[in-house]
Amino acid sequence: MNETALRVLAVAGALGIAPAVAGVATRTKSFLTGRRGPPAWQLYADLWKLLHRGAVYSESTTAAFRIAPVVSLATVLVAATLVPFDGRAALVIFPGDAFAFAAVLGLGRFAFVLGALDTGSSFEGMGGSREVMVATFVEGSLLLVFAATAVVTGETSLSGMFGGGLLPRWATAIPSLVMVGVSLFAATLAECARVPVDDPATHLELTMIHEVAVLDHSGPDLAFLLYAAAIKLTLLGALVSGVLWPRSELPPGAALAGGAVALVAVGAAVGIVESATSRIRMPKVPLYLAGSAAFALIGLALLLQ
Amino acid sequence: MEGDQSVTVFFAGLAMHILAGVAALVVRASLLRNRLVIVLLIAGSAVAAVPAFGVLTGGAPLLARWPSALPGGDWVIGMDPLSAVFVLVMVLVGGACAVFGVGYMRGSNGSDRSPASHAAVAVLLVSLSVVVSAQSVVLFLVAWELMAIASFLLIMTDHTHADVRRAGIIYLVVTHTATLALFVMFALWTRASSDWTFASLAAAGTGTAWGQAALLGCALFAFGIKAGLVPAHFWLPPAHAAAPSHVSAIMSGLVIKTGIYGLMRVVLLAGPPPTWWGWTLLIAGAASALLGVLWALAQHDIKRLLAYHSVENIGIICMGLGLGALGTSYARPPIAVIGYGAALLHTVNHALFKSLLFLAAGAVQRATGTRHLEELGGLARRMPATWGAFAIGAVAIVGLPPLNGFVSEWLLFLGLLGAAPATNAVRLSVLGAPLLAVVGGLALACFTKVAGVAFLGTARSGGAAAAREVGIGLMAPTWTLAFACAAIGLFAGSAVAPILHVAGLFVGPGATVAVVGSAIDGARAVTAFAAVLIGVVALVAVLRARFLRRVVVRQGPTWACAFPAQTPRMQYTASSFANPIIRIFGGLAGVREHRGATVYHSSARDLVLDDLTLPAWRGIQRLALRLRPMQQGRLHVYLLYVIAALVALLAWLVLNMPAAS
Repeated sequence: MNETALRVLAVAGALGIAPAVAGVATRTKSFLTGRRGPPAWQLYADLWKLLHRGAVYSESTTAAFRIAPVVSLATVLVAATLVPFDGRAALVIFPGDAFAFAAVLGLGRFAFVLGALDTGSSFEGMGGSREVMVATFVEGSLLLVFAATAVVTGETSLSGMFGGGLLPRWATAIPSLVMVGVSLFAATLAECARVPVDDPATHLELTMIHEVAVLDHSGPDLAFLLYAAAIKLTLLGALVSGVLWPRSELPPGAALAGGAVALVAVGAAVGIVESATSRIRMPKVPLYLAGSAAFALIGLALLLQ
Repeated sequence: MEGDQSVTVFFAGLAMHILAGVAALVVRASLLRNRLVIVLLIAGSAVAAVPAFGVLTGGAPLLARWPSALPGGDWVIGMDPLSAVFVLVMVLVGGACAVFGVGYMRGSNGSDRSPASHAAVAVLLVSLSVVVSAQSVVLFLVAWELMAIASFLLIMTDHTHADVRRAGIIYLVVTHTATLALFVMFALWTRASSDWTFASLAAAGTGTAWGQAALLGCALFAFGIKAGLVPAHFWLPPAHAAAPSHVSAIMSGLVIKTGIYGLMRVVLLAGPPPTWWGWTLLIAGAASALLGVLWALAQHDIKRLLAYHSVENIGIICMGLGLGALGTSYARPPIAVIGYGAALLHTVNHALFKSLLFLAAGAVQRATGTRHLEELGGLARRMPATWGAFAIGAVAIVGLPPLNGFVSEWLLFLGLLGAAPATNAVRLSVLGAPLLAVVGGLALACFTKVAGVAFLGTARSGGAAAAREVGIGLMAPTWTLAFACAAIGLFAGSAVAPILHVAGLFVGPGATVAVVGSAIDGARAVTAFAAVLIGVVALVAVLRARFLRRVVVRQGPTWACAFPAQTPRMQYTASSFANPIIRIFGGLAGVREHRGATVYHSSARDLVLDDLTLPAWRGIQRLALRLRPMQQGRLHVYLLYVIAALVALLAWLVLNMPAAS
């Protein structure tokens, strides 16, 4: 199989198992808390149901509300082409595509928050306001991680940073790379609205961040938003596994299978964290974000020695 | 011959702008006057842009020289590639803003002042073009001063309001401080040169290390004030908020760029700068970017908010200039080229999208009668063309693909991360990349706030509920700028290539072909990426339409968890939206809150103006009052002072006379 076909297969596979990764997290949580819980493929069924449900649109909304789910899903799909799922190279590579990755996710967030503010409801406004607060510092954390991997590998594209260049440095820079990996995992939890920043299973609107901003979406729009959230978890999980388990020396098929296993492991890790800790209070969220950025900063400082 | 012809064409363009100003003053019939002014402005801009475009696409630099018997020597004007980029921006963006101004002033109450206003705008445009193409000291300073005075007159258009007068006076004092520093710099520099042209200054060099430090220090002070670097930015928000919208657009988009032009020209003339220059620019730029966007988030007046965003973007441009200077100081030419290229491209992009945003804000102010975010809302339905233009400007200024802000921030990011594998101190500039991300995140928060509160949701006041779309005279220049933003974003390769060739001037020929080539290839990839993004968005939109066609779609009131009786006052306000982030930064954001039993009021103050500059000014006034007793108002006391000064001078002369031979 030639390289391009393999990478297309990797992207398609990752997009396919994205809902299952979130399902693995839920399954792990149920197992650890002694409940039966929904099956791992529950999100697939939810998406199918929502795509065939009718939609209700608020009278005060304009095109911005209708464009928000489209742009959210399209931007994570484009971002998926930049991530090396098989640990070696992504489908699209160009210099500086790490910044393009962060920027295109930002475009999705921009449209999402505008869609939330379009409803004219204070719940969605609160969700949008908290979402941009968390996103500001998560982006800082993410770029600190990219800066650290750039110092290590000398590359500016995601495939260079998380693909092949990290393996030789694991022998000499273990503490910094572990800190970078932990920081990236903490940023993933924040970006994907997981405990300890946002509880996806809560029913109290005043404690929500991401969930409350989608209150008015229904039908296929809501399906697009849920799928986009699942894909985002998969993308960031693939980057975490790229730091903590570099697979560039493995043959292509094994690297691909390793990628899938790594995603399941990330899902399980998310489930373990969600069972072990509770959601922190909203005023403490900036401290959590600063802490995750500090991990990456210390890792970067060690590498700049 | 061709060079002379191009210079003549450039002067013809400037002459048409001057004619537009004259026509505004001379022609009586207002309809004929407005149409004539618009035609002359557009024609002048197009004509003056042609030679600039020619120089950028590989033509020879232009030069014209007039011998003069006045002190200061010959007057020289010319266009090398750096000047050509700036002339292109000044002329095209300035023309669009001036055309907007014609329609804008027609609708305002002071329409008897509009002839003088149009004349002042014409003078401002011509002086901007001359500042960036002057090649001799006297011509540069004359054009600089003309630009400052024309800006002051335009800021004071609504001088019946006290806060407008205050903003104008602060602007006048600060800009003349900058001009004084420029006088000092040129005085130091021309001591060693043969005449007062820029070519002689470049040949003379800067002398000793202390001489160079003094020169560069004065340049940084003067051009930093003009550009609006923190902490010299405090004149910017009051001035840009008080001026009429098209003047704010010209000032934010063009006048502060003359500060950036000055910094780049000084580096080109003085030679490779020392390391402290690069680090100072990088750190001051980073601080300006972060503080500017934070203070913008705290504002609820659209124009003050946009003015603080100008401070932020000037900070980003200075980060690029600092990175470029560090590249030359630490002998890494690739980083230098990309740093200067990113700064130059961001200058062009910022001129485009900041003017676009100010013009759209002007349209909003004209339609609703207010500038305050807390009184707007629901304008997307009532003013769709303005909303579209503002949305494009907002996506561009946050630096999101597929528009032009993303291209320049991508280039800057490439430069910052490209410094990472270096072995010397320039590696530390890689810390600028996360800072750029935080600045971008805060900008996203700010513009979702503005776009969401002003245009989406429901109207919060009668003015917003009664808004009507403005006419084609205001929308045409706005949408021209929006198309330009989209064009640079979608054709990044064609925009980046000439910019990087100009940036190559800073490192000397030949050192940079490889890195320029790879950066241009990267820019072409960015273009393809933007096209792919638009294609995927279209595909997903088609998918959504197909799914929606099979199901029942209904309209209803906003769900919001079944809370009945939604009113416009229950929407999230701009202060609430910004509150989580403002609270994180605490006192640094400068927001003062007042809580009563049933009342909450928040206001944003400028920390530098209110806590540093004004107290210092009052201290100077107190000191001056102490010196007051010297001025008795009686003639014989003054005669006593004169006699005392004469006696002292005579004594000094006697004591220092050479010994009689």
